[in-house]
Amino acid sequence: MARTASLSEHPATRRDATGQKNKGGLIGVMLFIASESMFFLGLFLAWFYLRAMSTGGWPPPGVTPPPALPAYLNTAVALLSSAAMVCAERAIARDAQRSLLIWISIAGALGIVFMAIQSVEFTVLANLAQGSAYGSAFTFLLVFHTLRVFAGVVLMGVVLIRALLGQVSRRRRLLVQATAAYWYFITGVWLVIFAVLYLS
Amino acid sequence: MASISIPLPLRERAKTGLLGWLATVDHKKIGIMYMVMAFSFFLIAGLLGLVIRLQLAAPNMQIVDAHTYNQLFTMHGTVMIFLFTIPMLVGGFGNYLLPLMIGARDVAFPRLNAFSFWITLGAGLVMFGGFLLGARSDASWTAYVPYSNKTYSPTIGMDIWLLGLILLGIGSTLGAVNFLVTLYTMRAPGMTAWRIPMFGWAMATTAVMILLATPVLTAALIMLVADRNFNTQFFSANQAQLWQHMFWFYSHPAVYIMILPAMGIVSEIIPVFARKPLFGLRAVVISTALIGLLGFTTWVHHMFVSGVDPVLERFFMFTTMVIAVPTGVKVFNWLATLWGGSLNLKTPLLMCIGFLATFVVGGLSGVMMASIPIDQYVHNSYWVVAHFHYVLFGGSVFGIFAGLYYWVPKITGRMFDDKLGKLHFLLMLIGFNVTFFPMHHLGLLGMPRRIATYAAGRGWETGNLIATIGAFLLAFSVLIFILNVLKLRNGQPAGDDPWEGNTLEWSTASPPPEYNFREIPVVESERPLFDARWRTSHLP
Repeated sequence: MARTASLSEHPATRRDATGQKNKGGLIGVMLFIASESMFFLGLFLAWFYLRAMSTGGWPPPGVTPPPALPAYLNTAVALLSSAAMVCAERAIARDAQRSLLIWISIAGALGIVFMAIQSVEFTVLANLAQGSAYGSAFTFLLVFHTLRVFAGVVLMGVVLIRALLGQVSRRRRLLVQATAAYWYFITGVWLVIFAVLYLS
Repeated sequence: MASISIPLPLRERAKTGLLGWLATVDHKKIGIMYMVMAFSFFLIAGLLGLVIRLQLAAPNMQIVDAHTYNQLFTMHGTVMIFLFTIPMLVGGFGNYLLPLMIGARDVAFPRLNAFSFWITLGAGLVMFGGFLLGARSDASWTAYVPYSNKTYSPTIGMDIWLLGLILLGIGSTLGAVNFLVTLYTMRAPGMTAWRIPMFGWAMATTAVMILLATPVLTAALIMLVADRNFNTQFFSANQAQLWQHMFWFYSHPAVYIMILPAMGIVSEIIPVFARKPLFGLRAVVISTALIGLLGFTTWVHHMFVSGVDPVLERFFMFTTMVIAVPTGVKVFNWLATLWGGSLNLKTPLLMCIGFLATFVVGGLSGVMMASIPIDQYVHNSYWVVAHFHYVLFGGSVFGIFAGLYYWVPKITGRMFDDKLGKLHFLLMLIGFNVTFFPMHHLGLLGMPRRIATYAAGRGWETGNLIATIGAFLLAFSVLIFILNVLKLRNGQPAGDDPWEGNTLEWSTASPPPEYNFREIPVVESERPLFDARWRTSHLP
């Protein structure tokens, strides 16, 4: 009468090419990143709207934009950090645990450097935020991006601890993939912020 | 029905008692908690609505002062939308039904699911606790700047309200991620895209909208918090319209977040009670997705008197009218499903018919208002209040009650008293129309919304008195529902499949065991249970 189904047909037991159980976790991370993008889209919309509505110029007269040098430095830092993350991801795909440890540490350290450089910017931003719409939008983009950098560094710390405990392998690397995906996203957002805030 | 055996998860025996509820990660228990929470908020917000109606029953009434009145309608709107309709449909029905309907044992991330619920409840308690303790927002649910800025809302009530909404946003965004991954990865074998039940499609579209719209509101809420407390300059002076843009970018899709799941419920119930397959399943699915897509392109129609560029206004007038097309497709599909069906006129179907009749009225007044000249005349009048109650009560709430009458037998294992249900339906339909239909007329007579009282002699007296009488009839009908719930304890046992349903939840026990299905079913059409019944009756 009805056809019979084999156990391997069921999603709960289906495995992908790399032998991982299912891709649900990674899809969840991608969806979360989609919602994070919309958050930044909201902030960017505010930036462009306020810019279009500004009457006295952008930045308004009397407001000095924050120094650009840290942003240039940070662009390099962010790109290098993402490159290290690519190496970390490739390392665990080969099951090279030691290599993963090294690369994830480098990526995380560069993340901390990013925040340190950004803190120079924040000393200026504290006053800038209150003076004008320009300063408010500028500050919000940087603050909420830096919060994500912090979250990314925490995630890398978790990867590091779990790798040291031997809980990460080629077959159990969802956490690494998720951290990497989020880190690339944060880097991408930074590039847009850099282009919009400092180059235009 | 064909099925395959997957070993049950080695989870320790389900805890019972209070801890069993507090510590649960079971999608069914979480769904029930959402429903109970949302329904409690519905009753509270309904009571606030009754006070509003009492105040407006006659000219120059002073039951509450103008300031309290502002707080009442702010909380009525906020609670009805954010703490009742959305948690009931998405958190309640979505959680309880999605895994059962697709043949899964739970959602993809059960612990994240529990987190979503508790953060939602926490947000509700923050908002409502603030309200009870006197920290009340009074800038209406739209919180337009400058009403909501530090100058015009100096108290902490506004900040509490903003905090509550930010927390709710986190809960519903994570919930949306969970539903989408569940639908994508956990369907039973054989359940191809076109075999996903219509409710599943509705929830998928809703989840995408929540996922993409909520963060923009969150950004706006945080910006307003900063403007109020840290002197940032986002919404000052000539930029106040930015709030309207960001708020409606979320809140217009939110309208569809509140109606699409109700449409999904109706699409499940009508075929069962008409004893026919859903007419044009694919057309219904595609129009649902189109509504989801177009829902992001209509928000400026809330701002036709805000001074937006006229060219932009015309674009949004066009998109608003276009969105009526997929909605119309669905209405005609439901009618075609009913047409020539062998109708089983039980309460769930009656509620669906109530949904169809009242929702169409609200939809049509919506198309009228999409026209800029009409909107400029009726904007912020009681016409608008009539319109959105026809959509959200006539649509969403009738859908919710249809769903409750249909699925509570599955949830509790007991049948409702159908006669009492029919009485509830009849009184609710009459009470609803008596309350809200006169508001169309009041709006055209020029009565603005959100006024605490009005002078005599403007011709508004009769309409308002009728509306107030209707409101009490409506409230009385809800009491009948509560009586029906209390009577469930002695109700007839429901059995696995009391309605001869189509979807997988009816193949398991009522109430379903913690693991939902002992054997994972194999799906061979969009109506797996119909197939199973057909096989039993037609094959040796």
